[in-house]
Amino acid sequence: MELSITKNATCTFCGCVCDDIELHADGERIVETKRACILGEAWFKNHTAERLYPDALIDGQPATLDDAVEAAAEYLYNAHLPLVYGLSNVTCEAQREAVALAELIGGVVDSHTSL
Amino acid sequence: MLRITGGKVYDPANNINGQIKDICISDGRIVSEVEGGRTIDATGMIVFPGGVDVHTHVAGAALNFARAMIPEDHRRNAPYVRGERHRGGIGGATPTTYVTGYLYAGMGWTTVNEAAVPILSARHTHEELRDTPIVDKSCCVLLANNEILLDLLEAGETERARHVAAWQIWAAKAYGVKAVNPGGVAAWKWGKDAKGLYEPVPGYNKVTPAKIIAALASIVDDLGLPHPLHLHCNNLGAPGNYNTTLETMKVLEGKRAHLAHLQYHAYGGDDWFTMRSKSAEVADYFNAHPNLTTDAGAVLFGNTVTITADGPWQHLLYKLTGRKWGNLDVENETGCGIVPYVYKEKNLVNAVQWAVGLELLLLINDPWRVFLTTDHPNGAAFWRYPEIIQLLMDVNFRREQLKKLAPKALKRILLPELDRQYTLSEIAVITSAGPARALGLAHKGHLGIGADADVAIFNDSKDIARMFAYPRYVIKGGEVVIEEGEIRKAVEGRGYVVRPVYDEKIEDYIRPLFQQYYTMSFDNYPVELERLENPDIRSC
Amino acid sequence: MGGKVTCTLGEVKNRADLIVYWGGNPAECHPRHFTKYTLTQKGKFVPKGRKDRTMILVDIRETPSAKAADIFLQVRPSKDFEVLTTLRALIKGQRVSAETVAETGLTLEQLQDFAERMKKARFGVLFFGMGLSMTRGKHMNSAALLSLAAELNAFTKFVAMPMRGHGNVTGGDVVMRWTTGYPFGVNLSRGYPRFNPGEFSTVDLLLRGDNDAALILGADPGATMPQPAIDHLARIPTIVLDPKVTHTSRLARVHITTAATGISAPGTVYRMDEIPLPLRPALKSPYPTDEDVVRRIYKAVAKKPAWFPGTK
Repeated sequence: MELSITKNATCTFCGCVCDDIELHADGERIVETKRACILGEAWFKNHTAERLYPDALIDGQPATLDDAVEAAAEYLYNAHLPLVYGLSNVTCEAQREAVALAELIGGVVDSHTSL
Repeated sequence: MLRITGGKVYDPANNINGQIKDICISDGRIVSEVEGGRTIDATGMIVFPGGVDVHTHVAGAALNFARAMIPEDHRRNAPYVRGERHRGGIGGATPTTYVTGYLYAGMGWTTVNEAAVPILSARHTHEELRDTPIVDKSCCVLLANNEILLDLLEAGETERARHVAAWQIWAAKAYGVKAVNPGGVAAWKWGKDAKGLYEPVPGYNKVTPAKIIAALASIVDDLGLPHPLHLHCNNLGAPGNYNTTLETMKVLEGKRAHLAHLQYHAYGGDDWFTMRSKSAEVADYFNAHPNLTTDAGAVLFGNTVTITADGPWQHLLYKLTGRKWGNLDVENETGCGIVPYVYKEKNLVNAVQWAVGLELLLLINDPWRVFLTTDHPNGAAFWRYPEIIQLLMDVNFRREQLKKLAPKALKRILLPELDRQYTLSEIAVITSAGPARALGLAHKGHLGIGADADVAIFNDSKDIARMFAYPRYVIKGGEVVIEEGEIRKAVEGRGYVVRPVYDEKIEDYIRPLFQQYYTMSFDNYPVELERLENPDIRSC
Repeated sequence: MGGKVTCTLGEVKNRADLIVYWGGNPAECHPRHFTKYTLTQKGKFVPKGRKDRTMILVDIRETPSAKAADIFLQVRPSKDFEVLTTLRALIKGQRVSAETVAETGLTLEQLQDFAERMKKARFGVLFFGMGLSMTRGKHMNSAALLSLAAELNAFTKFVAMPMRGHGNVTGGDVVMRWTTGYPFGVNLSRGYPRFNPGEFSTVDLLLRGDNDAALILGADPGATMPQPAIDHLARIPTIVLDPKVTHTSRLARVHITTAATGISAPGTVYRMDEIPLPLRPALKSPYPTDEDVVRRIYKAVAKKPAWFPGTK
């Protein structure tokens, strides 16, 4: 299979966020990471496009995405002070949605910075 | 479809001065007639074109840096509690993005120009502008300390500089070009400044502030940008700087330019103890040179935070105040400094600053060339504009305020002698029609057929500050967004961009320099047009 | 003092002739920091690269980063604040007693040399890591270092920058600032943002048992937080969005698998110097992005009867 090449890819592993990485991928996994450091290479090669996990789990049982979204919404809606936490390894676009959700459910939104 | 009936219309661009007249709206535009739809009875009210802010700092790395620096200011001001149609947030000197949109729209302003954007973090600015609802937005990219450009000017390659600048404007998805303390911010990278207009910028032999100013003004004119060079002159805030300002205006002869926040550039005296107003000298020269427009950058007393790309000035302000200091130098392009500040009535320097802003608004005789701003948040937060309108329209109120100053201050200023009072029509010029024209936004700032249906409707009241702070209705793009003091609809605004013409091959010149001097990939540098929510590319 | 005197990494690359790392180990934690951004790069005004620069490392132990340094200063654990304060005094020419300095594990001569080097630098930078900001003194240490950098500007050009940790933690600060006015730990339960670190920060909330549900994304607190905080996450309904099974997802009621950021999810992330960068995913994930899932949860909540402050 021909490898796809992605130039100027951005590594999100450490705070350097190097954006000069060249990734070679075979559709399912990244096989080469030019210019990435040892940490970046491990990061890129550690995630694949395989379906290794169920879409979702509810109480440890495989569930559909729709059901999991509904269950999540129900828990968060019913909580008095829900917490939205993390936000490190997600995009700004996801962070922006997370703040909007925290506001909607009247919760606290926080990141690794507070540690 | 919407009809506004019975209101006194102030539409100075179309020579309408308080006549009672119906305004009809369809598909987001002003039209001659509508059949059916809603009618707003504006009897006893006045009708203005939506406000246009030619110079404000509402989005991007610098302002967002300031937000983190002043939690005490967030707590001092009333919070913005979320509601059915709007997000919650923080007001004060550096409102959160959503609240920025609500507060502008809430006082009848519907277009804002973010005045300082580094190319390197323009993606950030656009992310914030996308989260600033209701108002339409444009921004100016910072080029007067861009080292690729300065190096070209040093080498005398003005033609290539024009192509590079055009490429940079499009890379930043900007609408105009901003010059801040030309050469001074580049010098600040070594802890220095550029004070003399004709002295070489530290690190250069031939590049002087005057040369940068002239070159950028010509580039902007040659590219045919709708908005002229937006210039923050050298020596901002310094006693005696009016000479620099006069010299700068001479450099600009024969070229278009917009002088930002002129208040900060019209001081006499030799030091802080002798500082005085030189607004008359600056206004006289300005009045005689119709190639120029300006905005007031007026100051109001109280707490705020100062934010400017003028790094050396902010270091000085930090040393003067001993308060917090933020500084963010941006590689090869620009910098910014942040210092929280309180303007005090009894402080002589602050009193002069307060007076000079108003003096310039009163002494510049053509309202089409001077616009209402506070250089938000530098002179005061933008939501305090109605206080300035009251000071301009009511000489008695102004005299009352003058009594609060130290008697010594009165000898340093001209304001006590000025009895001009702005008319409603002139207010409509300095808040809307004039800045729209200066920005080259032909569909803004007026209520003629085909204009964007951005309309503010105010009570016709004696309490000027209150009536302008709380419009009865605000219409943006034909939608009623504010009514009876509530947000009715938080519509999305548009983002204005220009795409000046450049030789595509200029990338071959920029790329190797970029790879040598920057730290990100060249291909990741330009902002993708898709980043803007509703981009509107204006022709050059 | 508050605030921060800083710059983007390219300024360091092009200008810095004195580079200080304090309480950080870039050789192992930010492997390309030296080579891509700072030490070994040839810059516009430091054309000879490494030869034009001096590097000082301050840490409590000799990490692999010490090999890269010209000068390694081994400070006693928990004495960073004292060293910083002494340096602030020395640059201003104030008197400092040698005995007091000795308690820090360094000599007065070493600190005098350090202070002189900083004052004489053309462009100096202080990078600081978690070895400074997360040890005894915590934010007071950071404040002392930031003050030192600011005060050095009375003599020369000096900046400071935190060595931010993994992923897009910087972007989280940036986004929260423009949406809420505060960088982290924002309580929106009254319908507007409130900020009080120590009260609304996650570990404190969990230790007090204040939260009765949690949504975790882009983090694995089950692996990093104190055990009592993790125990509370296990007690309450916890929802995890993650590309993999994690310590936290094992204790969660709901786990939703998402695409990996930057590998199969597009978007924007911020570098430690707050420069935004686009992502270019190389793979197509069978799973939705975090952004997409959070938006779906938002829509599912928004369908329920609206809640406004004061009505519940």
